[in-house]
Amino acid sequence: MGIRAMQEATFLILTALAGGSQHGYGIITDVEQISDGRVRLRAGTLYTALDRLRADRLIDIDREEIVDNRLRRYYRLTSPGEKRLADEAARLQANAVVAMSRLHPAGVLR
Amino acid sequence: MTDAADLERRYRRLLRCFPTRYRREHEQEILSVLMAGAAEGQRRPGLADSADLVMSAIFIWWREVTRQPRWQWERRHPRLIVRLRVAIGIWLLVVGAILVGEGYWLGVLMVAPAALHFYLAYRLRHAVLS
Repeated sequence: MGIRAMQEATFLILTALAGGSQHGYGIITDVEQISDGRVRLRAGTLYTALDRLRADRLIDIDREEIVDNRLRRYYRLTSPGEKRLADEAARLQANAVVAMSRLHPAGVLR
Repeated sequence: MTDAADLERRYRRLLRCFPTRYRREHEQEILSVLMAGAAEGQRRPGLADSADLVMSAIFIWWREVTRQPRWQWERRHPRLIVRLRVAIGIWLLVVGAILVGEGYWLGVLMVAPAALHFYLAYRLRHAVLS
Protein backbone atom coordinates (compact mmCIF):
# COMPACT_ATOMS: atom_id res chain seq x y z
CA MET A 1 0.00 0.00 0.00
CA GLY A 2 1.08 3.60 -0.41
CA ILE A 3 2.38 3.10 -3.94
CA ARG A 4 -0.77 1.66 -5.41
CA ALA A 5 -3.52 4.09 -6.35
CA MET A 6 -6.64 4.00 -4.23
CA GLN A 7 -9.95 2.83 -5.69
CA GLU A 8 -12.44 5.62 -6.17
CA ALA A 9 -15.03 4.08 -3.82
CA THR A 10 -12.40 3.84 -1.06
CA PHE A 11 -11.32 7.42 -1.68
CA LEU A 12 -14.91 8.64 -1.46
CA ILE A 13 -15.63 6.67 1.74
CA LEU A 14 -12.56 8.18 3.43
CA THR A 15 -13.57 11.63 2.16
CA ALA A 16 -17.07 11.17 3.62
CA LEU A 17 -15.51 10.32 7.00
CA ALA A 18 -13.07 13.26 6.83
CA GLY A 19 -15.97 15.59 7.71
CA GLY A 20 -16.74 13.68 10.92
CA SER A 21 -17.94 10.23 12.00
CA GLN A 22 -20.87 8.69 10.11
CA HIS A 23 -22.91 5.49 10.09
CA GLY A 24 -23.35 3.17 7.08
CA TYR A 25 -26.37 4.77 5.45
CA GLY A 26 -24.94 8.24 6.11
CA ILE A 27 -21.77 7.26 4.23
CA ILE A 28 -23.82 5.99 1.27
CA THR A 29 -25.83 9.21 0.91
CA ASP A 30 -22.74 11.38 1.47
CA VAL A 31 -20.68 9.48 -1.13
CA GLU A 32 -23.55 9.88 -3.59
CA GLN A 33 -23.57 13.63 -2.95
CA ILE A 34 -19.78 14.07 -3.13
CA SER A 35 -19.64 12.19 -6.45
CA ASP A 36 -22.57 14.17 -7.87
CA GLY A 37 -24.79 11.08 -7.93
CA ARG A 38 -22.26 9.03 -9.92
CA VAL A 39 -21.28 6.56 -7.18
CA ARG A 40 -24.11 4.78 -5.38
CA LEU A 41 -22.57 2.27 -2.96
CA ARG A 42 -24.56 -0.84 -2.08
CA ALA A 43 -24.63 -2.40 1.38
CA GLY A 44 -22.48 -5.46 0.61
CA THR A 45 -19.78 -3.43 -1.16
CA LEU A 46 -19.77 -0.76 1.55
CA TYR A 47 -19.20 -3.21 4.41
CA THR A 48 -16.58 -5.18 2.48
CA ALA A 49 -14.70 -1.87 2.10
CA LEU A 50 -15.28 -0.74 5.72
CA ASP A 51 -14.09 -4.13 7.01
CA ARG A 52 -10.88 -3.88 4.98
CA LEU A 53 -10.26 -0.22 5.92
CA ARG A 54 -10.65 -1.17 9.58
CA ALA A 55 -8.22 -4.06 9.20
CA ASP A 56 -5.75 -1.60 7.64
CA ARG A 57 -6.38 0.75 10.62
CA LEU A 58 -7.39 3.65 8.36
CA ILE A 59 -10.80 3.88 10.07
CA ASP A 60 -12.18 2.76 13.42
CA ILE A 61 -15.55 2.38 15.15
CA ASP A 62 -16.50 5.67 16.81
CA ARG A 63 -19.69 4.73 18.68
CA GLU A 64 -22.90 2.72 18.43
CA GLU A 65 -26.50 3.85 18.72
CA ILE A 66 -29.84 2.11 18.56
CA VAL A 67 -32.36 4.10 16.50
CA ASP A 68 -35.85 2.61 15.91
CA ASN A 69 -34.57 -0.78 17.10
CA ARG A 70 -31.80 -0.71 14.53
CA LEU A 71 -28.08 -0.71 15.16
CA ARG A 72 -26.19 2.33 13.93
CA ARG A 73 -22.44 1.95 14.09
CA TYR A 74 -20.51 5.16 13.48
CA TYR A 75 -17.09 5.06 11.86
CA ARG A 76 -14.36 7.68 12.06
CA LEU A 77 -11.08 8.35 10.30
CA THR A 78 -7.90 7.45 12.26
CA SER A 79 -4.73 9.57 11.98
CA PRO A 80 -3.10 7.05 9.57
CA GLY A 81 -6.38 7.27 7.61
CA GLU A 82 -6.17 11.07 7.47
CA LYS A 83 -2.60 10.86 6.24
CA ARG A 84 -3.46 8.26 3.60
CA LEU A 85 -6.37 10.35 2.33
CA ALA A 86 -4.24 13.54 2.27
CA ASP A 87 -1.48 11.73 0.31
CA GLU A 88 -3.98 10.36 -2.19
CA ALA A 89 -5.72 13.73 -2.60
CA ALA A 90 -2.34 15.41 -3.22
CA ARG A 91 -1.44 12.75 -5.79
CA LEU A 92 -4.74 13.21 -7.65
CA GLN A 93 -4.37 16.99 -7.53
CA ALA A 94 -0.82 16.84 -8.92
CA ASN A 95 -2.04 14.64 -11.80
CA ALA A 96 -4.98 16.96 -12.46
CA VAL A 97 -2.72 20.04 -12.52
CA VAL A 98 -0.45 18.44 -15.14
CA ALA A 99 -3.43 17.35 -17.23
CA MET A 100 -4.98 20.83 -17.12
CA SER A 101 -1.70 22.60 -17.94
CA ARG A 102 -1.17 20.39 -21.02
CA LEU A 103 -4.74 20.84 -22.19
CA HIS A 104 -4.54 24.60 -21.75
CA PRO A 105 -0.88 25.64 -22.19
CA ALA A 106 0.26 29.05 -20.91
CA GLY A 107 -2.87 29.38 -18.82
CA VAL A 108 -5.10 30.00 -21.82
CA LEU A 109 -8.54 28.77 -20.87
CA ARG A 110 -10.97 27.92 -23.58
CA MET B 1 -47.13 -9.71 8.03
CA THR B 2 -46.19 -6.14 7.11
CA ASP B 3 -44.22 -5.32 3.98
CA ALA B 4 -41.20 -4.21 6.01
CA ALA B 5 -41.13 -7.41 8.07
CA ASP B 6 -41.45 -9.41 4.86
CA LEU B 7 -38.54 -7.56 3.30
CA GLU B 8 -36.41 -7.89 6.41
CA ARG B 9 -37.00 -11.66 6.52
CA ARG B 10 -35.84 -11.95 2.90
CA TYR B 11 -32.77 -9.81 3.51
CA ARG B 12 -31.89 -11.94 6.55
CA ARG B 13 -32.09 -15.03 4.37
CA LEU B 14 -29.67 -13.45 1.88
CA LEU B 15 -27.28 -12.46 4.66
CA ARG B 16 -26.93 -16.14 5.57
CA CYS B 17 -24.56 -16.37 2.58
CA PHE B 18 -21.86 -14.66 4.68
CA PRO B 19 -19.44 -16.48 7.03
CA THR B 20 -20.59 -16.64 10.68
CA ARG B 21 -17.75 -14.48 11.97
CA TYR B 22 -18.60 -11.72 9.51
CA ARG B 23 -22.33 -11.97 10.27
CA ARG B 24 -21.78 -11.72 14.01
CA GLU B 25 -19.81 -8.55 13.35
CA HIS B 26 -21.89 -6.82 10.66
CA GLU B 27 -25.31 -8.42 10.11
CA GLN B 28 -27.29 -5.92 12.21
CA GLU B 29 -25.76 -2.82 10.65
CA ILE B 30 -25.95 -4.17 7.08
CA LEU B 31 -29.61 -4.89 7.71
CA SER B 32 -30.08 -1.31 8.97
CA VAL B 33 -28.54 0.06 5.77
CA LEU B 34 -30.62 -2.22 3.54
CA MET B 35 -33.85 -1.30 5.33
CA ALA B 36 -32.98 2.42 5.31
CA GLY B 37 -32.47 2.22 1.54
CA ALA B 38 -35.74 0.33 0.91
CA ALA B 39 -38.55 2.00 -0.98
CA GLU B 40 -41.96 2.53 0.63
CA GLY B 41 -43.98 -0.72 0.47
CA GLN B 42 -41.05 -2.72 -0.95
CA ARG B 43 -41.44 -6.42 -0.14
CA ARG B 44 -38.62 -8.05 -2.08
CA PRO B 45 -34.88 -7.31 -2.22
CA GLY B 46 -33.93 -5.60 -5.48
CA LEU B 47 -31.90 -7.57 -8.02
CA ALA B 48 -28.89 -5.23 -7.84
CA ASP B 49 -28.81 -5.30 -4.01
CA SER B 50 -29.13 -9.11 -3.97
CA ALA B 51 -26.36 -9.54 -6.54
CA ASP B 52 -24.15 -7.14 -4.58
CA LEU B 53 -24.72 -9.11 -1.35
CA VAL B 54 -23.94 -12.46 -3.01
CA MET B 55 -20.79 -11.11 -4.69
CA SER B 56 -19.64 -9.55 -1.41
CA ALA B 57 -20.29 -12.85 0.39
CA ILE B 58 -18.15 -14.73 -2.14
CA PHE B 59 -15.39 -12.15 -1.69
CA ILE B 60 -15.54 -12.36 2.12
CA TRP B 61 -15.54 -16.18 2.00
CA TRP B 62 -12.50 -16.13 -0.26
CA ARG B 63 -10.71 -13.82 2.18
CA GLU B 64 -11.76 -16.02 5.10
CA VAL B 65 -10.49 -19.21 3.44
CA THR B 66 -7.16 -17.73 2.39
CA ARG B 67 -6.45 -15.88 5.64
CA GLN B 68 -2.92 -16.84 6.65
CA PRO B 69 -1.75 -18.55 8.68
CA ARG B 70 -5.04 -19.93 9.88
CA TRP B 71 -4.09 -22.62 12.33
CA GLN B 72 -1.48 -23.01 15.04
CA TRP B 73 -0.11 -26.19 13.52
CA GLU B 74 0.19 -24.47 10.17
CA ARG B 75 2.37 -21.81 11.75
CA ARG B 76 4.39 -24.38 13.67
CA HIS B 77 5.15 -26.66 10.72
CA PRO B 78 5.08 -24.39 7.67
CA ARG B 79 7.57 -26.40 5.59
CA LEU B 80 5.67 -29.63 6.13
CA ILE B 81 2.31 -28.01 5.33
CA VAL B 82 3.61 -26.38 2.14
CA ARG B 83 4.90 -29.76 0.90
CA LEU B 84 1.69 -31.47 1.97
CA ARG B 85 -0.48 -28.95 0.12
CA VAL B 86 1.63 -29.21 -3.04
CA ALA B 87 1.42 -33.01 -2.81
CA ILE B 88 -2.38 -32.90 -2.40
CA GLY B 89 -2.62 -30.47 -5.33
CA ILE B 90 -0.58 -32.73 -7.59
CA TRP B 91 -2.57 -35.77 -6.45
CA LEU B 92 -5.83 -34.00 -7.28
CA LEU B 93 -4.51 -33.07 -10.74
CA VAL B 94 -3.40 -36.69 -11.38
CA VAL B 95 -6.81 -38.03 -10.31
CA GLY B 96 -8.50 -35.40 -12.49
CA ALA B 97 -6.32 -36.35 -15.47
CA ILE B 98 -7.10 -40.06 -14.99
CA LEU B 99 -10.83 -39.30 -14.79
CA VAL B 100 -10.71 -37.21 -17.97
CA GLY B 101 -8.67 -39.98 -19.64
CA GLU B 102 -11.39 -42.45 -18.72
CA GLY B 103 -13.96 -40.21 -20.37
CA TYR B 104 -15.32 -38.48 -17.24
CA TRP B 105 -15.08 -34.89 -18.36
CA LEU B 106 -16.17 -33.63 -14.94
CA GLY B 107 -12.66 -34.60 -13.83
CA VAL B 108 -11.56 -31.12 -15.00
CA LEU B 109 -13.33 -29.80 -11.89
CA MET B 110 -10.38 -31.20 -9.90
CA VAL B 111 -8.37 -28.24 -11.17
CA ALA B 112 -10.23 -25.88 -8.80
CA PRO B 113 -9.37 -27.56 -5.44
CA ALA B 114 -5.85 -28.29 -6.73
CA ALA B 115 -5.39 -24.60 -7.57
CA LEU B 116 -6.65 -23.64 -4.09
CA HIS B 117 -4.09 -25.94 -2.44
CA PHE B 118 -1.27 -24.53 -4.60
CA TYR B 119 -2.39 -21.00 -3.79
CA LEU B 120 -2.54 -21.68 -0.03
CA ALA B 121 0.90 -23.30 -0.17
CA TYR B 122 2.24 -20.25 -2.00
CA ARG B 123 0.69 -17.86 0.53
CA LEU B 124 2.02 -19.82 3.50
CA ARG B 125 5.49 -19.93 1.97
CA HIS B 126 5.49 -16.15 1.70
CA ALA B 127 3.78 -15.45 5.03
CA VAL B 128 5.96 -17.66 7.22
CA LEU B 129 9.12 -18.64 5.43
CA SER B 130 10.21 -15.29 4.04
